[in-house]
Amino acid sequence: MSATLAVTQQRAGSGANRLGLSNFLRSSITFIVFLVLFAVLSLWLGGSFLSAQDRIFDLHQNVPLLVLGLAAVTILSVNQFDLSIGGMATLTAYLSAGLYADNGFPMWLAIVASLAVGVVGGLVNALLVVKMRINAFIATIGTGGVFLGASRVYGNGTVLVPDEGLPGWFAGRESFGSFSSKVPAVVMWVVLALLLVGAVAYVVRTLRAPAATPSLRSIRVACVVVGAAVAIAIWPTITGLVPLTVAFVLLVAIVMWLMFTRTVFGRYLYATGGNPRAARLAGVKVERQTTMAFVITGLLASVAGVVLAANQGSVAVDVAQPMLLPAYAAAFLSTVLLSTGRLHVWGCILGGLFVVWIRQALIIGGVPFTWAEVVNGGVLVAAVAASRLLTSKDRR
Amino acid sequence: MTSDDAPPRTTPVVTLRGLRKSFGPNAVLVGLDLTIREGEFVGLMGPNGAGKSTLIKILDGVHAADEGAIEFRGRPVGSFTTLPEVGFVHQDLGIVDDLTVVENLRLGLPPLRRAGPLLDLGAERGAASEALRRVALDVPLDLPARELSAGEKALLAVARLLSTGARFLVIDEATSTLPPNDARRFIATLKDLTSDGATVLFVSHKLSEVRSCCDRVVLLLDGAIAFDEELDPDNEGQLAEILGHQTAAPSDTARVRRAADGRAVFALDRAFVGQVGPVDLHVERGEVVGLTGLVGSGLHDVAYLAAGIARPRSGARTFHGRRLAIVAPQRETEGTIADISVSENLTLSALPQWRRRGLLSLRRERRDVEHQVDALNVQPPDPDLPLGALSGGNQQKVLFGRALVTGADFLIICEPTRGVDIATRHELYRVIHELAAGGVAILVVTSDAEDLFAVCDRVGVLHEGSVRGPWPRSELDAESMALVL
Repeated sequence: MSATLAVTQQRAGSGANRLGLSNFLRSSITFIVFLVLFAVLSLWLGGSFLSAQDRIFDLHQNVPLLVLGLAAVTILSVNQFDLSIGGMATLTAYLSAGLYADNGFPMWLAIVASLAVGVVGGLVNALLVVKMRINAFIATIGTGGVFLGASRVYGNGTVLVPDEGLPGWFAGRESFGSFSSKVPAVVMWVVLALLLVGAVAYVVRTLRAPAATPSLRSIRVACVVVGAAVAIAIWPTITGLVPLTVAFVLLVAIVMWLMFTRTVFGRYLYATGGNPRAARLAGVKVERQTTMAFVITGLLASVAGVVLAANQGSVAVDVAQPMLLPAYAAAFLSTVLLSTGRLHVWGCILGGLFVVWIRQALIIGGVPFTWAEVVNGGVLVAAVAASRLLTSKDRR
Repeated sequence: MTSDDAPPRTTPVVTLRGLRKSFGPNAVLVGLDLTIREGEFVGLMGPNGAGKSTLIKILDGVHAADEGAIEFRGRPVGSFTTLPEVGFVHQDLGIVDDLTVVENLRLGLPPLRRAGPLLDLGAERGAASEALRRVALDVPLDLPARELSAGEKALLAVARLLSTGARFLVIDEATSTLPPNDARRFIATLKDLTSDGATVLFVSHKLSEVRSCCDRVVLLLDGAIAFDEELDPDNEGQLAEILGHQTAAPSDTARVRRAADGRAVFALDRAFVGQVGPVDLHVERGEVVGLTGLVGSGLHDVAYLAAGIARPRSGARTFHGRRLAIVAPQRETEGTIADISVSENLTLSALPQWRRRGLLSLRRERRDVEHQVDALNVQPPDPDLPLGALSGGNQQKVLFGRALVTGADFLIICEPTRGVDIATRHELYRVIHELAAGGVAILVVTSDAEDLFAVCDRVGVLHEGSVRGPWPRSELDAESMALVL
């Protein structure tokens, strides 16, 4: 009998090894495809595409989109939907500019009020979905329509251009929302130093720990070393180019990342999304988690709206509504970027970035900008299809 | 056991010759020969990892054998997937809850058409009634399948196979998720089908089931057949031999006497919940109390009540301990979170203990997880795999672990050994004993009598809404249990 057990264990062990390595390959494949795509586009378009300043400018312009992507990740983590984030971002963009310009609020209060509207909107969605058990799809399409409609009512259906502009620290030249306000070089170098320290710590720890799959360990270490080398290579170029908005979205992402990976609350979100009944029996307050996910999603949507107003200094009709699709594309891409099946923050940021860059490359390459939505939709469907294909393999 | 009026079982239906299958360097099947004849009811047993699932998957066309031949009625075939004469009933019965009985029966069958795309509903209903009659299932055709009991769903799955013309049925651990009464009814129906000329290959972990129905037992060990004999229910030596192959180690701990110290950690006093009540029950420190009953008796409602998930309609529930945890009855739907890792599943109920200044200490969590994975012998021992990738028995170990790491002093463990192999069963029994020896109060809520005899100090039976007993284990025997149930 002991022989049987030994055989079983040996088989199981090597199965895990195979799974470990193939998991790693599967989680990297989409990333590699994107890198190849990026390289092809760079070769095709040359200098007109491969400009650090222009690509960081794309990033700057799409900071609200990335924040909406993080909102989508949050609500998807509990296996719910929130289609009202586009409407909410539009409404809060109007409110943050309009309450200051038209209603005489101090700017800080206009921002706080906009964020509060996001929280309340999230609570309303939670009330409908969690308490009244309305399908999230239907409920948030409805509330999204209400939020969007409210923004049109508030803005009289026209573009909101503040007569005397928004405060200088918020929007306009040299403000938070401007591309010309950069992260100081000192900060950039400190960040690089921290990244390198982290990379060295990771390599040392990984090499010291016993590994079930030595080959996988070597690949991981190699990836981190290459990543560090790339960072050192590009840092002198991007120092002085990174605007405050980009630093802001990275800060938001770090907070969200810590929440998802390092807090009890974040673990409970994934557990709730994975199997609510099991999570409840394991002691997770599932309704509370879902409610909080809706609230955080609403809050992030309102943050996106405020950043949008800061970015542009004025607010166009339905301005954030077209971001709904790419935001969900970015969120779903996170399940296949450096992951097999799990929504995660950095995958979402990276995914959003790739969507934006590919779209931009096509425009530079001469594809009319009217094709943008086709690209967004295509990427969304491809991302979901890829995540299905990549994650369904080891399930019976 | 040979009767003269039975048809001679000479025509081979299925012949397997020298089946071999390896995954990478690991040989799973090492030359398997098996012949199953017309009208036979063959039990296939073997511990997890013996190659049962691989064999079934080869027959079902999921995997291809590396070597060897599969013959059906003398014709070589690659697998049975395309043969309408062969039907599989898996643990997941493939019944769609949202469809009605008749719609489920028609799934996968060519439509009976009246004109153009319009279905001939009358003919469909006629065929469906006939299929249900063959499995002695008397349910309304328009009932949504979700209203059926687990046993009725299993019979519906068989009826569907019969109506496609299946004459050879492979029952792949489908009874492991059925409550005992449903399982008995299901097996009796299969038995009737064999006397009508059907042939059955019955895969099960439970010797009692195999004993109750099979003519012949085949035991698979290490990828080859270790034992293949006509079953003789009166031959204790034969049973001992099968058990000897099946059992990992005799569980001596089952006979250890523990002294509960008389302090009740948990008590129900004339409590009513759902259809159940009044229930009186208490569990003391260091004591394992078993609670059993027919499924449908509200057994699991009592478990939820004990765990504080359900509230009593009236009566009192008192809990004097620090903390309790539950291992839920339905592993797949109430326990396992398939998409998150073994580690995250294991620590879910006790996460705050790894929190320092608001953030989880992943390193300390990992250390404790590795310790538990090792102590519970979870296979494969990789905490980063999604829990859904593990076998059922190993998922159950992780769910035990989830309850253990909470440090609870009262555990409610439901259906601890449902669908796990005998080696795992003994490992789980050992865990329960160690916990009780450490002073934890344990309520085992189970429909498997073996659990009661293996670990429980006192056993209560839920019957017609109230708890009979509990009696000390020494006063229990299988017959008295059968009488009560």
